[in-house]
Amino acid sequence: MKQQTGKKDSALYVGIDLGTSRSAISASNDIKDWVESYVGWPKDFIAAKVLGKDVLFGSEALENRLSLELYRPLERGVIKEGIERNEEAVRELIRYMIGLVKPQPEQKIYAIVGVPADTLKINKLAIRKAVSEYVNSLMVVSEPFSVAYGLNLLNNALIIDLGAGTVDFCIMHGSIPDENDQKTILTAGDYVDEQLYSYMSEKYPDSTFNLNMIRQFKERYSFVGDTEEAIHVEIPVNGRPVMHDITNEIRRACESILPAIIDTTSEMIARFDPEFQAKIKRNIVVAGGGSLIRGIAQYISNALKEYGPCNVRCVEEPLYAGSDGALKLAADMPEKYWEEL
Amino acid sequence: MMKLLRRETQLRQTLLKALYDENLRVIGKKPATKASRFPFLKGRLLFLYVMLLLFSFGYTDYLNPLVSSNDAVINATIQHRNYAGDYPDEIFPSDYSSLLNETAVPLKRVFGLEVKTIIIDAGHGGDDPGAIGTLGTMEKNITLDIAQRLKERLEEHMRYNVLMTREKDKSLSLKRRIEIANSSKADIFISIHVNYLPAKPIDIIETYYFGPSSDENTLRLAAKENEGSRYSLSDYNEVIQKIGNTLKLQESRVLAAQIQKNLFLHMKTLNKNVLDFGVKRAPFLVLLGVDMPGILVEVACLSNKEEEYKLNNPNYREDIARYLEAGIIQYLLNGRSNS
Repeated sequence: MKQQTGKKDSALYVGIDLGTSRSAISASNDIKDWVESYVGWPKDFIAAKVLGKDVLFGSEALENRLSLELYRPLERGVIKEGIERNEEAVRELIRYMIGLVKPQPEQKIYAIVGVPADTLKINKLAIRKAVSEYVNSLMVVSEPFSVAYGLNLLNNALIIDLGAGTVDFCIMHGSIPDENDQKTILTAGDYVDEQLYSYMSEKYPDSTFNLNMIRQFKERYSFVGDTEEAIHVEIPVNGRPVMHDITNEIRRACESILPAIIDTTSEMIARFDPEFQAKIKRNIVVAGGGSLIRGIAQYISNALKEYGPCNVRCVEEPLYAGSDGALKLAADMPEKYWEEL
Repeated sequence: MMKLLRRETQLRQTLLKALYDENLRVIGKKPATKASRFPFLKGRLLFLYVMLLLFSFGYTDYLNPLVSSNDAVINATIQHRNYAGDYPDEIFPSDYSSLLNETAVPLKRVFGLEVKTIIIDAGHGGDDPGAIGTLGTMEKNITLDIAQRLKERLEEHMRYNVLMTREKDKSLSLKRRIEIANSSKADIFISIHVNYLPAKPIDIIETYYFGPSSDENTLRLAAKENEGSRYSLSDYNEVIQKIGNTLKLQESRVLAAQIQKNLFLHMKTLNKNVLDFGVKRAPFLVLLGVDMPGILVEVACLSNKEEEYKLNNPNYREDIARYLEAGIIQYLLNGRSNS
């Protein structure tokens, strides 16, 4: 997009959280929205005629996936390598998301995009390339950092951003976190899906379900620790709907990612300046879709007890914590910095 | 209360400035600092140091490639030169003096040595982005990505211990790279770089090594006699020292030739405009400092916009890694530069 000149007040600031599973956008005109990170093109002209659209996004794309070439273009929060169509899919997704926040015609758009903590520079460049077509100026920021900034956790805090593709850890200590303050692990939400699929296939070999159904079960019922209610879901067996008890499978799948999270959390705290370790332990925040897993804060808190008292809490609005933080960064960023970029 | 607010505002301003600086780095612009000219001066001092070192060792021949690339390109015709006179007699008995002439049979095979450890050096890193293309692609990211892909490919052979001087985007001095390579007791050293030729819109591949080459017939016989020895090259450090690094230099040449040949011929099928600038000798400090045979390969040319675009494609980087692997494996299997 061509650079325009104008007063800061006339610009639209947007914060974008590009996620493997969901992507969210928050704008300075108070509009925010999200979309499942799926992009689909009709497979042939018949599909195009039936669907009446050149490209479909999010849940609409998922619902019509049999008629589409469907892409989930973000792997671990960066453009998935190897298929050029993925780059196009990300560009389309960005265009669609910018459209969701309804910028005025000719309005300048300044964007901050969140990416996983240890994203390679080359991936950041790829994201920049995809976004730059639709905005006037943009910056790329580590996702947990944008969450921390949005929540005003600028000092002595540890953010655990539990997404679909990655779990990002970031220690905030009053300066921009460097590579020693950040870590990314890959046993995240998608790993839970795989585990759940595997456990359910083992327990119910005659039942027919797919990964999309598994994801829906997880999002609706995920929990760790104890629960008093059994979880029953309806799954077809030989074409007839049958209720299945998946309580243990859900618990096992959700808890499968916790050892790595707890190990990384304690390792990061232990690496930090010993004088401030106690303060960090009292300020651990879980963000991302994973923070919706019931009982996760309590579970992590209990597991870390042996390292001394700690306080773990979940963000209030996990879907928008990243994009809201990025928007706050965008709004606070001095105008001269935008011009340079 | 006011004090607290003021402190928080200052903290936010610091964070925003740091974020802005970081994004400048991502697109290849350096945040303005007083010391911005320092790397350039440091580079010149380093170059002068290397030049002095070369003159003091009488290795001025190595500088010729920098002046005339035609003289330096190693091709099927190998210049014959007797290096025996360059070294003290007590180190080179008369039997060895003929072995140390230029040859297509590597000394590695003469001694029947095995390569066990390969160290890959991804050029630049951290504060030093290396060359930066017009689209903002940084050499340090390309070299690291190709190095990681090459490592994975070599590890699949299950025969080599493959190490890297850096596995992250971090600054690493030449001295530290040399220390890492030497302390790892590696047997060969592969340094990956990307060229930048702003004056010419061309795309080239070239490979460097540090040292002269040597001779053939007697070595072929000796190679047969010593075949099957299970010693690692690094076990022969003492021998290498006694023969004045000739083994290292000769092996570096053969390795460079194999890598250049494989990389160029294959890349030519993907990019008909790529030019073969051949194997050259040049005074790279990192190649001088490492104890083992080493080469520095310029795998592509970032000043060429079309090439820069291709380098951003992971499949293209995987191809480069594949052809580097082919060159290394061919060197390890038969070692012949002109095969």
